Amino acid sequence: MINEEKVILMTHMQAYEDHAGKKDIAVANYFRSDYLGYQVLKAILAMTIVLAMLFGCYVLYDIEFFMKNIYQMDLLEYIKGLAKDYVTIVVAYAVLTYVVYTIRYAKAKKHLKKYYGDLKKLSAMYSKED
Amino acid sequence: MTQILLLKETIKTFIGRYEVYLKPLGKFLLALIALLMINSSTGYMTKIDTFSIVLIVALMCSFMPVNFIIVCAAGFILLHCYALSMECALVVLVLFMILALLYFRFAPKDTLIVLLMPMLFAMKLPYIMPICVGLLLTPASAISIACGTVVYYVLHYITENAEAISALEAESMSGRFRYIVDGLLDNKTMVVIAATFIITVIVVHVIRRLPIDHCWTIAIVLGAIVQIVVALLGNLMLDASVSILGVVLGSVVGALAGMLVEFLAFHVDYTRTETVQFEDDEYYYYVKAVPKVVVSQTDKTVKKINAQKKKKKRK
Repeated sequence: MINEEKVILMTHMQAYEDHAGKKDIAVANYFRSDYLGYQVLKAILAMTIVLAMLFGCYVLYDIEFFMKNIYQMDLLEYIKGLAKDYVTIVVAYAVLTYVVYTIRYAKAKKHLKKYYGDLKKLSAMYSKED
Repeated sequence: MTQILLLKETIKTFIGRYEVYLKPLGKFLLALIALLMINSSTGYMTKIDTFSIVLIVALMCSFMPVNFIIVCAAGFILLHCYALSMECALVVLVLFMILALLYFRFAPKDTLIVLLMPMLFAMKLPYIMPICVGLLLTPASAISIACGTVVYYVLHYITENAEAISALEAESMSGRFRYIVDGLLDNKTMVVIAATFIITVIVVHVIRRLPIDHCWTIAIVLGAIVQIVVALLGNLMLDASVSILGVVLGSVVGALAGMLVEFLAFHVDYTRTETVQFEDDEYYYYVKAVPKVVVSQTDKTVKKINAQKKKKKRK
């Protein structure tokens, strides 16, 4: 006889494994600090690339001004100002990333906890059958 | 009404049964339409402006994840812009990189909205999207809608000013670049429409989540009204050139599309609402249960009572 309850449980578990489960398992393979550190590092890198591109566009937009005034400008002060803006933006984006991925990590752990609970339930069903 | 509900059930069963074939077919059609639209609106690079290339890429997309369609569409746009002018390609590349690196890391599922928004704009139906997204997704998707709007207006500006950009060929590179960037940043219509869509998505979502009867219908109607009012106010305040008739008609069509989404995703019978109250050791529970309207299909079996007559064989 087919155990309906077991089939339903196994179907739910397989559906989870095939879809959200894959990502959740990948997330849960990391320690929390490692996962968050990795994501924040990627965010900093992404923001650095974007800011570099935007700065490139800004220079290209006003290239004549830059070419004329490059020798009269206080370059040290200019770079200091740029660095200050860069750090502010990157820190804000890193904090946002940290918050978003903390929530995602907690959710993944919660889903996996339920999945392991279902696994135990399934194992209990098998041992009852034996 | 019963017939429509039966049709809905039939469609659901059909999709469930043939999902394996319908998914690639859907991706193929989406890619094909998107790439044909890109080619027809831009089409500056003649090498990729052929049906055979589009067909091959669309076939590839049908067996790849949905996000691959976005990558292909972005590639096509970049190539066409590059054929027009390198500065155009640079501006579009920077825009796409910002979207990919900063936003879609957080919401990879929303990339489809960015593809659909310019397509709906081309079909003069962009006002459908905020109402439907507000009903089905989260307020964070409002950012995706705004991104899609920006992508459309960037492409629209480039195609509208293609001749002027080509005419500036003799000018310096920074001159052409400045011309494109200035045109994009001064686009008040884009700002008004993006803001309107963001506000509409948030309003529709908030009302849809309220614990009141007919919240979906109220959300759709109020969403359409808010969309019209915000667009008109923005138009007046920023002196933009948003078509008033377009906003009104588009919002009405958007509301109708919202009703269709409501019928497909949230068809409930408020007359049979049950309110129950109970408690356990820690909480009191006030539960409101609204039953779904479901019509089960009747299985028709043909039972033959009379014995079939045997056919006489001709000799």
